[in-house]
Amino acid sequence: MQRDLRPQPVKTASTPEIGYFSAWVFAFCLIVGMALGIGFTRVYGPWQRGNAEPWQLRPEDRNHYMIAIALEYAHSGDTAKALDKLIALRPDGDPLSQLAEGACALGSRGYLGSESGIRALRSAVALYAPQGRAGCAEELLPPLATEVATEVNLAQTPEAQQSTPLPTKRPLQDALLATPTPRYRPALPAPRNFEVLSVRSFCELTRPALIEVFVVDYLGRGIPGQRIRVRWGDREDIFVSGLKAERGDAYADFQMEENINYAIDMVGADDALGTRLSTDACYTENRRSLKSYRVTFVER
Amino acid sequence: MRVIRSMILGLLLGAIVGLYFGWGQFPAESRNSGLSDLARPFRDDYIVMVAAGYAVDGDVDGVSQRLSRLGIDDAPSAIRESAERIIHSSARGLADIGLLVHLADGLGQLTQPMQPFLDVNRERA
Repeated sequence: MQRDLRPQPVKTASTPEIGYFSAWVFAFCLIVGMALGIGFTRVYGPWQRGNAEPWQLRPEDRNHYMIAIALEYAHSGDTAKALDKLIALRPDGDPLSQLAEGACALGSRGYLGSESGIRALRSAVALYAPQGRAGCAEELLPPLATEVATEVNLAQTPEAQQSTPLPTKRPLQDALLATPTPRYRPALPAPRNFEVLSVRSFCELTRPALIEVFVVDYLGRGIPGQRIRVRWGDREDIFVSGLKAERGDAYADFQMEENINYAIDMVGADDALGTRLSTDACYTENRRSLKSYRVTFVER
Repeated sequence: MRVIRSMILGLLLGAIVGLYFGWGQFPAESRNSGLSDLARPFRDDYIVMVAAGYAVDGDVDGVSQRLSRLGIDDAPSAIRESAERIIHSSARGLADIGLLVHLADGLGQLTQPMQPFLDVNRERA
């Protein structure tokens, strides 16, 4: 019997199995793959569309959902139920204030163009206003017909009560000679009184020679639509708060020129600002600019 | 070759695990959904709220506008289907069904299964 004298194959660690697979590379790529997978889900969003909850709504749709809650409240009068649903939206702050803001946002974007929109916003106001919250929606809403009717009754003069209804069409001569029919004039809103809270100068390269005016109520909330008068020499100009939406409701500004004294006041302010405002050179970040002012009017 | 093989296998497996956790176990809390993305119970809730608004003002145009935000173009058919489904599944209370039936009636979509609930509404009124 012959012995096999050929050398035996050397068994080393480099087996075919190890050559087939690298554990380190696999582990590294597994981690990278997991990170990519999770990252993709975060960028893409939830997989199941059509399975969202109300708190996941985008702001615009959230506003419409809150209006629907207000509509239901208008039917049921159940404040607790409405509040539960508003809280389910997981608002950042007070749910009723969020409703007021949502109603304001919708009212500012043409939602009041239809009767149904007006009714819906009234429902929202009816929900949050009795709870002590306020927004701009109640200011944007047209007066109720009952309110107008009441005001008309209050404003009616004896002459107006005696006047007879006019025919729908009259001869031209009669129409020209007829005495004017007493007409209802809506009552003007009560004048608002303001006073100067502060006047501060500042120096900024991006906003030189500017009078920045902030008009706020006693809670510090901006009041849009307030007229501020600026006078210099024998001239004057009017600028209005809230026209620069990006700066908020309170904001209004006026561009000054050098070597001119300006005085500003508001309708409803006690007196004009005592100090005359004028701009001259100031320095910030080692560069020359022109001095600006920040004036705050507060409602008394 | 073994490096590439390991790399592909690792990335593939890792991506599957990542997607599983990212979508399945810990889904992203997106706040960018539309009303049309609402899950059915919340969708029904919205429809009932719109129906409640209709019960107050009888405004068909308003109903159509509000339902269009759910991606519903044909509001009458959608209300009929929702009302019938909810009646058959008893998914909501009698008051909610009453509101839906009242709305379906207003939209001219009253069907036989809704009739008893309309009578209930009338009795309540």
